[in-house]
Amino acid sequence: TMACRTVCQLLQRRLASSAASVRLSAAEERGRRSAVFSREQARQRSLYPRTEKIEVTLQIPGLQGTLLVMNKGLSTPHSCARHLTEWYVTSSALALVDGKPWSLHQPLTQSCSLSLLAFKDTDPLLVNQAYWRSCAALLGQVLQDAFKEDFSVELLRLPEVLVTSGAFCCDVVLDPQLDAWNPSEESLRSLTRGAQQLIHRDLPWEPLEVAPPVALEVFSHSRCKQEEVEEKSAQSPKGTVILYRCGDHVLLSGGPLVARTGLCSQYEVTAIHRLGEGKWGLHRRAQGLSLPLQQQVRVEVPTGSTNEAISDTLTPPSAPEQTPPQQ
Amino acid sequence: MRLTIQMLISHGRVARKMGLGPESRINMLRNILTGLVRHERIETTRGRADEVRFYAEKLIDYAKKGDTDEKAMKMANFWLTEKDLIPKLFKVLAPRFETQPKAYTRMARIPNRENLDKAAMAVLEYKGNPFPPLQTAKRDNDLTLINQLLKGYREQRAQQAAAKVEA
Repeated sequence: TMACRTVCQLLQRRLASSAASVRLSAAEERGRRSAVFSREQARQRSLYPRTEKIEVTLQIPGLQGTLLVMNKGLSTPHSCARHLTEWYVTSSALALVDGKPWSLHQPLTQSCSLSLLAFKDTDPLLVNQAYWRSCAALLGQVLQDAFKEDFSVELLRLPEVLVTSGAFCCDVVLDPQLDAWNPSEESLRSLTRGAQQLIHRDLPWEPLEVAPPVALEVFSHSRCKQEEVEEKSAQSPKGTVILYRCGDHVLLSGGPLVARTGLCSQYEVTAIHRLGEGKWGLHRRAQGLSLPLQQQVRVEVPTGSTNEAISDTLTPPSAPEQTPPQQ
Repeated sequence: MRLTIQMLISHGRVARKMGLGPESRINMLRNILTGLVRHERIETTRGRADEVRFYAEKLIDYAKKGDTDEKAMKMANFWLTEKDLIPKLFKVLAPRFETQPKAYTRMARIPNRENLDKAAMAVLEYKGNPFPPLQTAKRDNDLTLINQLLKGYREQRAQQAAAKVEA
């Protein structure tokens, strides 16, 4: 019995030490991250108990110099757009606050100049890049939702891909049990359907600027995400990290995302390539193609869909620079 | 005839009245058509341009029959008051529209006349005229998402074609 008790204690101690690496089920993990996000969001909102007013000057063609009086810490560029016409609300994808790219749903904290960017502007470079990033984030979310609870899906850093390259990418590491799995046409189509369902729900991408400790707490069960948080906080001028929440998924991104999933349309997941063994396991790159709601395209293509016709010509991207682990 | 109320109400009547009467209307249209054949692009009021369009296209249909055709020559002689335009009609305009079955003219509306009458104006032209186009097709900005994607696609195709040529 003494031996039994020491064995039990040893086992408990070993289990306790690896508590951080005990995997919660995917849904529970998402719920936990979302709860931490909501808590931090409520805390940041409670920093402004009294409504203070700020003055926002609009820099929109046709409405130059219009002054809006908004609430500090509560009003977002989206709410500024709602003071104008419905067209601004539906068409704006990104905002420029004092010249810096700003998410549409991020609260404004001081008097500033605001301009709303749309897809049909004369210079939509920032908007296109933000749209590409948002589609990649959506792809990551779809991949996380797609697999059963037994398989773990680890999202890596979203690579910054240029729009001219023809597709947005999302790096992911699947469960080791799925190393031999190759996606079939059916699975790509089901991923596409999942993405289209998310688009149909029209969820907003809520941004939140947090200090690194909070971000580390959010991603406490994912070592690669924690490394990403540390890198981003080192690079950012204020040392903060911006988290985005869509539905109940919390994710990191290299830059601002567009306002809502409803702005995407004609979304298609085109391929999932193997990149070879990387730092966290077998790296895979999922690729997709999508066009904004205001810029849909109808093309007569003899076989297959528009997106497939364009993405068929793309060659798989090169492997990552990290050397594979020595075995 | 019976002077009924229906005579004063013109609901559903499509025929336009121009000038002093039907004969005056035909003469006016003849003059405008002559001007159109001479200059290939003219500016008149909207109603007159719309009326002349029908006759302009019918005249081309007759001209396509060739100048040896008696009926065609009679029509051209009647409608063109300046007789030096009859050879132009048969030798320049008819061959230009040989391949087209219909739609030889284009009408574009322009801002109202500056005079006191503020008449609604239009420009009527024969297609294929030597002047610069009236309305250029509006093209999307080159930097929009679709155009950037297509640009990347075209570049990739060019690269692949070049690689194939080398190999």
